[in-house]
Amino acid sequence: MKGLFKSKPRTPAEIVRLTRDLLVQFDMDTIRESKRDEKMVELSKHIRELKCILYGNSESEPVAEACMQLTQEFFKENTLRLVINCIPKLNLEARKDATQIVANLQRQQVQCRLVASDYLERNIDLMDILMTGYENTDMSLHYGSMLRECIRHQVVAKYVLESEHLKKFFEFIQLPNFDIAADAAATFKELLTRHKSTVAEFLSKNYDWFFAEYNSKLLESSNYITRRQAVKLLGDMLLDRSNAATMTKYVSSRDNLRILMNLLRESSKTIQIEAFHVFKLFAANQNKPADITNILVANKSKLLRLLGELKTDKEDEQFDADKAQVMQEIASLEPKELA
Amino acid sequence: MGKSGHGKRSYSVNANDYKLLEEIGYGASATVFRAIYVPYNEVVAIKCLDLDRCNSNLDDIRREAQMMSLIDHANVVRAFCSFVVDRNLWVVMPFMAEGSCLHLMQTAYPDGFEEPVICSILKESLKALEYLHQHGHIHRDVKAGNILLDTNGVVKLADFGVSACMFDSGDRQRSRNTFIGTPCWMAPEVMLPEKGYNFKADIWSFGITALELAHGHAPFSKYPYMKVLLMTLQNAPPGLDHDRDKKFSKSFKEMIAMCLVKDPAKRPTAEKLLKHSFFKHAKPPELSVKKLLADLPPLWNRVKTLQLRDDAQLALKLLPSAQQEAISQNEYKRGVSAWNFDIEDLKAQAALEDQD
Repeated sequence: MKGLFKSKPRTPAEIVRLTRDLLVQFDMDTIRESKRDEKMVELSKHIRELKCILYGNSESEPVAEACMQLTQEFFKENTLRLVINCIPKLNLEARKDATQIVANLQRQQVQCRLVASDYLERNIDLMDILMTGYENTDMSLHYGSMLRECIRHQVVAKYVLESEHLKKFFEFIQLPNFDIAADAAATFKELLTRHKSTVAEFLSKNYDWFFAEYNSKLLESSNYITRRQAVKLLGDMLLDRSNAATMTKYVSSRDNLRILMNLLRESSKTIQIEAFHVFKLFAANQNKPADITNILVANKSKLLRLLGELKTDKEDEQFDADKAQVMQEIASLEPKELA
Repeated sequence: MGKSGHGKRSYSVNANDYKLLEEIGYGASATVFRAIYVPYNEVVAIKCLDLDRCNSNLDDIRREAQMMSLIDHANVVRAFCSFVVDRNLWVVMPFMAEGSCLHLMQTAYPDGFEEPVICSILKESLKALEYLHQHGHIHRDVKAGNILLDTNGVVKLADFGVSACMFDSGDRQRSRNTFIGTPCWMAPEVMLPEKGYNFKADIWSFGITALELAHGHAPFSKYPYMKVLLMTLQNAPPGLDHDRDKKFSKSFKEMIAMCLVKDPAKRPTAEKLLKHSFFKHAKPPELSVKKLLADLPPLWNRVKTLQLRDDAQLALKLLPSAQQEAISQNEYKRGVSAWNFDIEDLKAQAALEDQD
């Protein structure tokens, strides 16, 4: 008989509904002050339960059917917006749980569809809220990590890339708090590498302002870590086959060459090696404009000495082969008449 | 506004606000300093990490810094803030005045601690593990050297240099395939990278740490890396079964045996283990641990002495054995970097070493 009085365990959908009801109350501020703490405890508990359904716990793995039910109910209504709005009102543990829930939901499928992607397409303004996170130290890691998960969806990445938000990354990457700046840098990198066709289109349409900012704010930054990450990302972008048109344009500019040659001379070995991977593209270009050739010729002996001394810590055959080829190319260059 | 979990005071991200004092810890690419945060005139610890020497990508460092700034547990060392100074990353943390349990044993308790003290230290560390596991983190380097003590007896687990976050990618994947940690404390499944491992790897390391605190050193600690790998994989799990271990209680031995089961599925979770009878009567660390610390020189002098001792030992070492160690070390690194654990091959190599 005992079992009769035991409350039945709630279904995932029920927990989502209970969570949503409480979120609505917090969002609208309709809770009496005396009830606030109690309701917050309740809300945190539900959020923890949702996380356990999606991730399992140290004893058990998540169950696909339960995850599916949860996801379906979650996106049936505006739960994601409520969660994002209410994050600042939650305590630290609930914020972390909620962030992990949002991250996980981006990958959940219902009937072979990424429901999160469909939802975000209709609610793309949520990205504007997530972007404000970088301007608020307490929110930045939560909103930042949600944002990075949301741009897994191509429509969302496209929106952020083409919005005014992108310009702000050049500032956020250099924020003094390492954890926040590094978060912005990770998202920036995702935006510019993940969805090939979107990135290629973006770079060719926005070439002028984008690389002007990229060069002056990132590659020539006074901050070591900014330069290091920027030159690495530049290599990743230019060496990607889908960005070939952008690459050809980039390596035909003497201003760009000058910046890369400066990076090649840095005292940091890590930056030197990363800079080499971009510099080699200038040298290897078979249709070098005359002014590029002439800069390389004018600096021939200095470049050859510098490259000769440049070595990776670990043996790297590809690097050695590239280096030999670049050195050979530079050694054989003759000055060209300027057109 | 609502309640924020971080209702703590904030620290600036300006290097000029900090005054570096003595070195209190050193590692391959990081040095830890005692420092003063000038605006509050407060002692803090600053870990300075040379970023140019971390040539792997910076994502792992970002994850570590983010995780440490989002920690809110009495037994886990959190980061107040972190920022870049030239090529170094500075991570500002609370100063744990008595250093690590390893330091303390090396300085004053070479044969380990008494059981009640061990019980307090382990219970606090286990609470830290329970919290980390609940948040999806595997610590991956649980050992006495990472259990820090404060003057008031407070115990905190530190150093997530190698900790992995399984939730970071939002993935359901619950196992990691990275070979990392310190061999003596490493669970057998961690040594076989193709298998992957989970939270339970920390429970094994916790068991080894219990033995370390009881004896003053980890089992197998005198053997070269390669040999440790083999012994962990092939031998029966170590335990408290020597003559000198008679002084320890049955429940202590039993608790260790539960952690050191080779099949990770059969090890208890941190949450379960906390309910073990061994921890039922644990004294608060403010009582038991504090007694250990009486009459010791300050931490920075201890560190200096240990550093000098290390150097002297290295210099004294006869060349052949030093060479042997270097070879073993290289072999180990090769195995790790190539991820090619051919056990038969390892056995053959170790057999050759034995004959020397």
